[in-house]
Amino acid sequence: MANSLFEEKLNSGEFLVTTEVGPPKGADISEMVHHVDLLKDKVDAINITDHQSSVMRFPSLGGCLLVKERGGEPVLQVTCRDRNRLALQADLLLAYSRGISNVLCLTGDSVDVGDHKEAKPVFDLDSVQLLKMIKTMESGKDMGATDLKGAPKFCVGASVHPEADFIEPQLIKFEKKVSAGAQFFQTQGIFDLRCLSRFMQYASQFNVKILAGIIVLASARMARYMNDNVPGIIVPQTTIDELASAEKGKGLQKGIDIAVRLIKAIREENLCHGVHIMAVGNEKTVPDILEAAQLAGAYP
Amino acid sequence: MIVAEQKPLEEIRRMTAPYERILILGCGTCMTVCDAGGEREVSFLHNALRLAQAKSSGGIHTFSEYTLKRQCDLEFMDLLVDRVGDVDAILSLGCGIGVQAVAERFPDIPVLPGVNTSFMGMAKEWGIWDERCAACGDCILEETGGICPITRCTKGILNGPCAGTKNGKCEANKDMDCAWVLIYKHLERLQQLEKMRRYYPPRNFRAIPRPKRIVGKASIDVGEADG
Amino acid sequence: MYSTRDNNIKAYQASQVKEAFYGHTFTPPCQAACPLHMNISEYVDLVAQGKVMEALQIIRDGNPFPSICAYVCTHPCEDACRRGQVEKPIAIRALKRFAVEFGGDRMIQTEAEATQIEKVAIVGSGPAGLACAYYLRKLGYSVTIFEAYSELGGMLRVGIPQYRLPREVLDTEVQRLTQMGVEIRTNTRVVSLDLVLDMGYKAIFITIGAHQSLRMGIEGEESLGVIDGATFLREVNLGLKPPLEERVAVVGGGNVAIDAARTALRLGAHKVNILYRRSQAEMPADPAEVEQALEEGVEILFLVAPTRIKRGNGRLSVTCIRMELGEPDASGRRQSVPIKDSAFTKQIDILITAIGQAPQSPGDFHLRIGRGSTIQVDPVTLTTNRNGVFAGGDAVTGPATVTQALASGRQAAFRIDDYLQHRYPLVLKEARETLAGDLLPKTIEMIRKVERLEPPLLPPEARAKEFRPVELIYNWEAAINEARRCLRCGMGVEILFQDRCATCLTCLRVCPYHVPYLDDRGTIQIPADQCQACGICVAECPAKAIVLRKPYERQQVTAELDHALKSAAESKFKPLIIGFCCQYGLFGTGTLANMWRKAEAGIWIVPVLCIAKVEDSHILRAFEMGAEGVFIAGCGEQCAREDTTFWIRQRVEKVRKTLTQIGLEPERLQTFILGTNEDPATEMDRFAERIGGFYLASLIMQEVKS
Repeated sequence: MANSLFEEKLNSGEFLVTTEVGPPKGADISEMVHHVDLLKDKVDAINITDHQSSVMRFPSLGGCLLVKERGGEPVLQVTCRDRNRLALQADLLLAYSRGISNVLCLTGDSVDVGDHKEAKPVFDLDSVQLLKMIKTMESGKDMGATDLKGAPKFCVGASVHPEADFIEPQLIKFEKKVSAGAQFFQTQGIFDLRCLSRFMQYASQFNVKILAGIIVLASARMARYMNDNVPGIIVPQTTIDELASAEKGKGLQKGIDIAVRLIKAIREENLCHGVHIMAVGNEKTVPDILEAAQLAGAYP
Repeated sequence: MIVAEQKPLEEIRRMTAPYERILILGCGTCMTVCDAGGEREVSFLHNALRLAQAKSSGGIHTFSEYTLKRQCDLEFMDLLVDRVGDVDAILSLGCGIGVQAVAERFPDIPVLPGVNTSFMGMAKEWGIWDERCAACGDCILEETGGICPITRCTKGILNGPCAGTKNGKCEANKDMDCAWVLIYKHLERLQQLEKMRRYYPPRNFRAIPRPKRIVGKASIDVGEADG
Repeated sequence: MYSTRDNNIKAYQASQVKEAFYGHTFTPPCQAACPLHMNISEYVDLVAQGKVMEALQIIRDGNPFPSICAYVCTHPCEDACRRGQVEKPIAIRALKRFAVEFGGDRMIQTEAEATQIEKVAIVGSGPAGLACAYYLRKLGYSVTIFEAYSELGGMLRVGIPQYRLPREVLDTEVQRLTQMGVEIRTNTRVVSLDLVLDMGYKAIFITIGAHQSLRMGIEGEESLGVIDGATFLREVNLGLKPPLEERVAVVGGGNVAIDAARTALRLGAHKVNILYRRSQAEMPADPAEVEQALEEGVEILFLVAPTRIKRGNGRLSVTCIRMELGEPDASGRRQSVPIKDSAFTKQIDILITAIGQAPQSPGDFHLRIGRGSTIQVDPVTLTTNRNGVFAGGDAVTGPATVTQALASGRQAAFRIDDYLQHRYPLVLKEARETLAGDLLPKTIEMIRKVERLEPPLLPPEARAKEFRPVELIYNWEAAINEARRCLRCGMGVEILFQDRCATCLTCLRVCPYHVPYLDDRGTIQIPADQCQACGICVAECPAKAIVLRKPYERQQVTAELDHALKSAAESKFKPLIIGFCCQYGLFGTGTLANMWRKAEAGIWIVPVLCIAKVEDSHILRAFEMGAEGVFIAGCGEQCAREDTTFWIRQRVEKVRKTLTQIGLEPERLQTFILGTNEDPATEMDRFAERIGGFYLASLIMQEVKS
């Protein structure tokens, strides 16, 4: 018995497509609503980011409620940066009570990379401990070992970085996340399919679903900026060169082409179980990408 | 060792402005070692304050200087009794502990902190100090190859590196090594990588209630017979 | 009662501190090696600063006849010099020569008056006799020198050739004694000591030298045409010009042999050979002299010894035998062993024998004679077997050096004084420990290599025909540069205030030479035998626990600064700029003078022994006392170490930060390093101009305020 529609699809063996929407900085949520409406029927689930890059925004939980309202399937991104174990448990109880059952457990970016550098970094838990915490809650207890009145049930995921420049410790952590109960993984941005394929050769021994992260880059400049400033992103030089080769004003189109090429190859070569498209501010392009990759409408 | 850095001169001048006779009090232990408040820094600050006064025309301060071997024990304060009789304030270049000890011993004299106490650490090389211990009260260094993830990982996480590590450096500061990369390499060298594969539960932040106290002596009733 | 005791304890503790603060330098190896125990490092250092008069003063304090030593000393100090472990020793004798010539030693008058009633006779006027007379006269005694020859000087006069010691130098020294009131009786041979005592002399110092040449003990040694070295040199030096034929051979390997050979060459001998029974390595003569002799054309036949001399046809036919080196003897020198059937014959005109000399003491002196015909004395008091009769110099030691003789004469003077004053003759104890130990390879590695500058010499072709001094004098710059090579042994730093030391390891980290180390107990040690006295750790020590063993160095910067500030206050030049300048490279060689004289007036210089010794507090103090600008000028590539600039820039940055916080422009503090700044003079002008601007602005601000 699946805990969510998305979990059902995970178990179906279909090629999955998820994407993410970043909440606004401010109370005006109209653009987010527009993006959710645009995407909710074209993908299997929509992630709502949790103060991505430690930049303060409208909350993930609020975004997920909105997705739910608009009839979509949300994935709640939860980081450990801003909440201690009390707040994390409380938020999850709220989410479950409102039908939000997919959770992506993350440690969270450092406060130093964001726009509130002087904030107190919490990190009461890390991502592995967060996964464990959810298992504990599902067992009917809270972290203080007190019985819960009504236990939640979630479909839990985590992230992994197959293109990390020093992969061994990342793999150890991946295994810890699997042991802690992660059912699916949405990877950091994939640019080199050889890395993905090497990682899958190893990851296929575990009973988890891997969704390759696809970042839609808008320009070579953006790629370089992300390399320097966004944690966990390593855009290879060949990709930057390819973006740079685009005619002026056609950078985004080139980024879309690259994303489409990657998605098509992943699907054709059956490299992993799906893709997670991160359009980083260009959410409106996701339908075009799906169409070009011949994924649009594949799943009602 | 406790590591601190001297406060900016402007701030020190602002603090000392209301007082006429000021004793600049150095500390001969950690503050000497970390170059923040030893004998030489006391002299330097003394000179700087005098110069500032000469240039601002209108100063009325008189300064004296003295350096205690340690400011963090009350017995040392007895050496100050003759020196603070006619001062209006003590500018302590001791760490936060020293400042409080001076204030406790001389409750009638305002004590001003001359340094910002920053962390416990060691010198990387001459003139560079790195934090090494957070005094968490629950040491796990045996598990992490002698490298403290609580202090040296910006997030203080226990189950391995985050995805932000790049070129062995931290996402928060590209000059700082990623503690977990160091831990991995160290454990690999010791052939103890299984320690990294182990799950570490959430930290106990209640090792000892704050403010912490360690009671090293046994509580013995006077008159009680042994055995 | 207790309070008295407490006071005593306090007084004692205070005295301990004082004691610890002074006299904790070590005797450098050069000084320990000098028979006169001269304060060599001190005067070399003063030469390096260009302070020639001061250097000469130090030299004169330790040596009655520095001009003589400057020419003929065999400089054992240079053999001991630890710079020799780096590349080559400091040219100490040549630097002394520079100091006595440029300092005008020969102009200096010495005065003394008789304050004692006792008269002392000195028999012999060699260096020991002259020195003894000098010091006894200084002590106030009436002194008479008896000299058998017509002129004073002993071996200085009759033994040493003029090209090594010009006679005017010797004459000046002798005149100095006359000025002091020493009575001189030449052409007076003392034959009986009893007679001298009868004349009223209360003490006699016998210093008759070792003028008797040793005989070779071979057949034909008495032949016409064979002359001993001492006689030959004496005759030449007293003005007799022995006729020299075509070919001359000298037998021996010591300094006399070399002197005789070079003298023969100058007298016109066509070909001069030295026959020496061992190889060059065993030669006792000064290697530099040997080198110069070879340059001039003297040929040395090594491993050759004469066995028979035969005269015929107005010539000498000398049979020689070839030798080889055998086992070392008791003294460690390898024996020479004849090679069988290796005899050969050499045809020459004159043979000079110079295989050694011994004293010849008249039997009527009734002195106890020991090994090698030397007079036996108590080595501490120099007393002979006769009451009131002392002896010293070569007569006691056998042939030795001029400097040893001077030392012996000085010792005799003090011992005679003790005798006449009925004092117990105490051996003078060296208050300081002698610096022992070689430089470690890691220390040597970090010392900047600077090659020794030899003083210029007359070209060989010019000197072979005349008796002018072979060695010329350094020019000013060469002397300073050579003197700067001194490693300043024994002047290093020490952790004076161990109780303040927090073992922070700063000294260990900042030392350019990696000298400080942690001992087994975790205490930091700065071994004196390795420290190069740069002073960087002194300025960087956060506990101010380290001092230079020469305590005045830190005080010196402060004192010079106060002096400059005081002079500036009396002057009308505005604005005031203080410059801390390396006084070796910049001041000494005059570079600095050229640099700042072009700049506008108002610049006051604080000379420092290396800018590494300028502390941040010194800079702040200059500003506090009214300086509008401060600069630090270092000698850059000339500096003894690579790191100086780094450290001074660190301190400058720190002070600039403080200046900024006080509201002063950081540009008011500037560093000039020779070799890195494009043109120091122009930069200095620009700096002075900028400071002028700041000054003007501040004046206007004051106007506006008031």
